[in-house]
Amino acid sequence: MKGRAAVATIVVLAALGAFGATTENTYYLSVGYSIFLYVALASSWNVMSGFTGYTSFGHVAFYGVGAYTAAILMFDHFWSWAPAFLAGGLAAALLAAVIGWPCLRLKGPYFAISMLGIAEVLRIVGLTWESVTYGGTGIPLLSALSLRGFYFLMGGVALAAVGVTLAVSRTRFGLRLLALREDEVGAETMGINTTAHKLAAFVLSAVIPGIAGGIDASRVGFIEPISTFNVFITIQMIIMTMFGGRATVLGPVIGAVVLSVVREALWARYPYDYQALFGVLIIALVLFMPEGVMGVVQARRRAAKVPAP
Amino acid sequence: MSPALLAQGLVTGVLLGGVYALVALGLTLIFGVMRVINVAHGTLLMVGAYVTFTAANGLGMNPLASLLVSAPLLFLLGVLVQRFVVERVVGAPELQGLLVTFGVSIILINLALRVFKPDIRAVTYLSGSLTLGGVAFSVPRLIAFAVAVAATAAAMLFLKRSRLGKAIRATAQNQTVAVVCGVDVKRIRLVAFGLGAALAGVGGSLISIMYAIYPEMGSLYTLKAFCVVVLGGLGSYLGALLGGVILGLAESFTGLYVGTQAAEAVAYLLLVAVLLVRPQGLLGERRQ
Repeated sequence: MKGRAAVATIVVLAALGAFGATTENTYYLSVGYSIFLYVALASSWNVMSGFTGYTSFGHVAFYGVGAYTAAILMFDHFWSWAPAFLAGGLAAALLAAVIGWPCLRLKGPYFAISMLGIAEVLRIVGLTWESVTYGGTGIPLLSALSLRGFYFLMGGVALAAVGVTLAVSRTRFGLRLLALREDEVGAETMGINTTAHKLAAFVLSAVIPGIAGGIDASRVGFIEPISTFNVFITIQMIIMTMFGGRATVLGPVIGAVVLSVVREALWARYPYDYQALFGVLIIALVLFMPEGVMGVVQARRRAAKVPAP
Repeated sequence: MSPALLAQGLVTGVLLGGVYALVALGLTLIFGVMRVINVAHGTLLMVGAYVTFTAANGLGMNPLASLLVSAPLLFLLGVLVQRFVVERVVGAPELQGLLVTFGVSIILINLALRVFKPDIRAVTYLSGSLTLGGVAFSVPRLIAFAVAVAATAAAMLFLKRSRLGKAIRATAQNQTVAVVCGVDVKRIRLVAFGLGAALAGVGGSLISIMYAIYPEMGSLYTLKAFCVVVLGGLGSYLGALLGGVILGLAESFTGLYVGTQAAEAVAYLLLVAVLLVRPQGLLGERRQ
């Protein structure tokens, strides 16, 4: 099974690489880029919220701070793209450490609301702190790379995000996160420093969205606060992870691929109603498939292992 | 700080706070009974605002009379949302309630965009202000405040005195005991969500005579209502009233002394600050 998974991974990666290197179809390249972006974002959300059960309802904050950090460094300080994107990741990690320290003491709905509030505060900071962020006017950016370049760069980031999830899921660290999700007091009693673990997971889950935010700002060529700190980006990370299956490695990947394609298709076909259709989709997923695709697969597998009476 | 300016800040803040309190009462009522954070609350308010807009500008109704339409209509909408969507996530992890109500919210926003276009609209009704001892009272705000106080008082009286209201409070306090005492909690949840939506709808109707309205206005008010509810303590009715007035005052004084754009951020800063310092809110009980 392990060997087969490795072979399958290599085949998929080779196919994606060959496709990216040869295709001349810019539409497919940009859809591929957008899928990679959401694989990276959803996988990162999963590292925090899938594993610890703490719902980050404002994860777009990290994407946005990364985007703004990279954009300001490139536009005002003439940094080249690579260090600017990395600085975006660093800024997001710093933000996570600063807000995680107080916010992670909050439980359940309080944590979710606080994260939503922080993402909104950042949007308003972006709009009002004009001397640094240029407010609602936004920042225009030169495209740092070709579309093909962005495809491979974001592909690499997505791969890193999946790698981080794999590492978390295979280590004691990940097991401890799952333990605290199921019973925080119990985990504490077992000697797990839950605060340190939550904070570590939170910071870890912020880095990649920060990097991806900077890349995306450069790819789009323009950023302004309202579309950058858009709650819909957070919702997509959540719903993609739930669709695939939270706290699994493949779940966010499956969710990002399927739902990005669905979103593109809905958007192309029903430009005026796609938001409503996406709303219907969200409700249907939560009501009928709360454990996601991987949940269904795992349930089948368990059922197959138990001999019929 | 001159006394006249201080008085002006107080008056503006309290008038605004009355409407916030009304809207937040609906949110805290829903949370208390369902344990669901209704992300669609501001969007329900937007629907109420458009009901008044349609009634006033389309049918020539008096905007205040349109409350008699928006309240029952929103009650019905709330009952439907509860019956077909929210009821199924009661008792589930909070993420599911957040997601389904977000889904409801974007469906309603999309419908409003289709029906009313994204244009910014206004309901024109009484303008001008009365001046009393050097302090200006804006007429629409004064009326909105009076109606909000009346509606809030009616809702509180209903919750405290009527059989149904007592059953709602019992369900919020302890569902199991309520069931044992013969309360039909499923029906209570329908009424609670309907009432919560109706309060948001009345709030929206009142806001439409004071401010411009547009289909995406909801998220702003959802967050303000969150702020108020967290300030007062999630699930606490009196807390919502107190929190509403505090937010109104905070916004009005920030607007006077710092600037109107900063006033917009006050709700969020207050929200985050309260969560960090006293997450159970001013009147909430600490619970695990």
